[in-house]
Amino acid sequence: MLRIEQLHASVAGKEILKGINLTIGAGEVHAIMGPNGSGKSTLSNVIAGRDGYEVTAGSVTYHGKDLLAMKPEERAWEGVFLAFQYPVEIPGVNNTYMLKAGVNAKRKHQGEQELDAMDFMQLVKAKAKLVELDQSFLSRGVNEGFSGGEKKRNEIFQMAVLEPSLALLDETDSGLDIDALRIVAQGVNALRNAERSIVMVTHYQRLLDYIEPDFVHVLADGQILKSGDKHLALELEERGYDWVKVEAEQAAA
Amino acid sequence: MSDMALNTAALPGDAGVQTLRAQAAEVFARTGLPGRRDEDWKYTDISRISATLGEAWWSPTPSELSETDFSGIEGLDAYRIVFVGGEFLPEQSDIPEGVTLQSLSALLADDADERSHCLFRLDESAPLFNGFLAANSALASDGLCACIGANVKLDKPLYMVHIGNSTSHILNGLMLGQGAEATLIEHFVGGDSNSAGLNNIATYLRLADNAGLTHYRLQMEGTKQFHIGRVEVKQAGNSRYTLHAVELGASLSRADIVVNLAETGASCDLNGLFVASGRQHIDHHTRIDHNAPYCRSRESYRTVLDGRAHAVFNGKIVVAEGAVKTDSAQSNGNLLLSRNAEIDTKPELEIYNDDVKCAHGVTVGQLDEDQLFYLKSRGLSEEEARQLLTFAFADEVLVGMDSKLIRRFIEQAAFSKLPNMSDLEGFLE
Repeated sequence: MLRIEQLHASVAGKEILKGINLTIGAGEVHAIMGPNGSGKSTLSNVIAGRDGYEVTAGSVTYHGKDLLAMKPEERAWEGVFLAFQYPVEIPGVNNTYMLKAGVNAKRKHQGEQELDAMDFMQLVKAKAKLVELDQSFLSRGVNEGFSGGEKKRNEIFQMAVLEPSLALLDETDSGLDIDALRIVAQGVNALRNAERSIVMVTHYQRLLDYIEPDFVHVLADGQILKSGDKHLALELEERGYDWVKVEAEQAAA
Repeated sequence: MSDMALNTAALPGDAGVQTLRAQAAEVFARTGLPGRRDEDWKYTDISRISATLGEAWWSPTPSELSETDFSGIEGLDAYRIVFVGGEFLPEQSDIPEGVTLQSLSALLADDADERSHCLFRLDESAPLFNGFLAANSALASDGLCACIGANVKLDKPLYMVHIGNSTSHILNGLMLGQGAEATLIEHFVGGDSNSAGLNNIATYLRLADNAGLTHYRLQMEGTKQFHIGRVEVKQAGNSRYTLHAVELGASLSRADIVVNLAETGASCDLNGLFVASGRQHIDHHTRIDHNAPYCRSRESYRTVLDGRAHAVFNGKIVVAEGAVKTDSAQSNGNLLLSRNAEIDTKPELEIYNDDVKCAHGVTVGQLDEDQLFYLKSRGLSEEEARQLLTFAFADEVLVGMDSKLIRRFIEQAAFSKLPNMSDLEGFLE
């Protein structure tokens, strides 16, 4: 479903991603772990299409299409969703209005009929329950005055409404207390299905206790150094990242 | 401007008014018009006015429009007070009962009535005093004069519609007695017609103890029109004044908003929205004097500028020595949609005692890239995301309007001016 090949990307002239290779199949859950500054967030931002990230080589193919040639909104219409590490506050832009515009743009793109206000409200209310988001949040400005935990819950709520086929969760666990983490994880787990792929970018194994990945990758210095199953995450938790780097250097030598 | 002699001879009013007119004409001839050397007019070049309207730019001209050219604010239930070309039309108007309300022209026609005198008396030492105000005093022949008695709560807004594209000098006075409450809407409309004139308006507002006034000032003049306005407010103890100033029209528009918090516990809220495009020039100078203890002032102005539009905002707050426990905050946000748009903004605080709380903040910028990306990542197109953010930015000063009908009316008028502001209907809910 998603194929990343030899991806190189720079930010402000500095190369951050140095040849990423990664294939993600439908319905799979992947965890990308790594130390600070390894390029984890850069990878999510490149996939979502944020400005300021220059792809210098390689390709990203999604459902057989060239993802890198698409604008950010086109990627959203094709089913890509990014749950932000730092969701931005947009005072004055109504949360529900934004989602309705997003959902209907996607439906239009896929040749489906747009949802009317009534149908949409029903959808939204059902999804809000999933992450225990109070209905009063629906009519507020996007993330306006939300606590850190509420912002992350709002991201997962939006994911539930937009029903992506590829969800990138960028450090969704950071800044969450244990209760909020549980709620967010339950929401994500409820959204797992055979067609939806999920990529979790995280520092910590903690999130993976709640959302069990099929694959774990270690990203360091712009490359994926090692891949494995969920046991790799436990090993990383115990031994840190350095041994992976050493192993990779030995293999290269 | 070679000859600044105003001819006041044929104008209405008793001997007292004639004397005041003559004095005003003298002040006008002496002080002339403000120029770029005046600090308060540094960014607003009024030579455009005489260049367009000719040397006797002050001479009243008739309006080509009639009251049927403007339908009003849809659904608004109000006492309609209609002026066309600066002239009150009683047959088009609806005067509330239990309120002393007359047009200035009717008041001037009665020689035994001296109530209009105070409106014509000039105080050259008043803040932001200038030649336009002198011309107004010398030449004004119509306007609204009203007294709302103690504890009268007006059931509907007073809705003054000025249908223009002409030159006129309008003088208004509104007094609210103790505990009285009212809403005043001043609405200036023009058309797309090619004719141009100068609307020169002065509005004096007096609020007695505990009175409350909500004032909508909606400047939607024709695109070639000039608009010069002054609002002067004097507030007694615990009175409340709220202004919603909206500037959308005119080629050049300047307003001086002068508020005197004269007695303990008075409070004012000044909200402003400018949406300008093309070569429009809009300037608001606000001046709030905290002259008594425990007064509160809030000021929130936002501008959205496109094309080569130029806006000026000056917010001056003066806290007197005895005005302890002053609570004042000012914010001014400016969104520049084009590289050629220009904003000159300046907060000015003069504080003469230590026991005050004064905050101010200014922002100038373009749309936020992080917000744009966030919306696009949710599937909104670039254009839709830009519209939405622009709208949200401006709408933040409109949320304080207690009339949803006026708010909706302004939202639609404001955003039909900007390019690609197509269908935001769903958002308006």
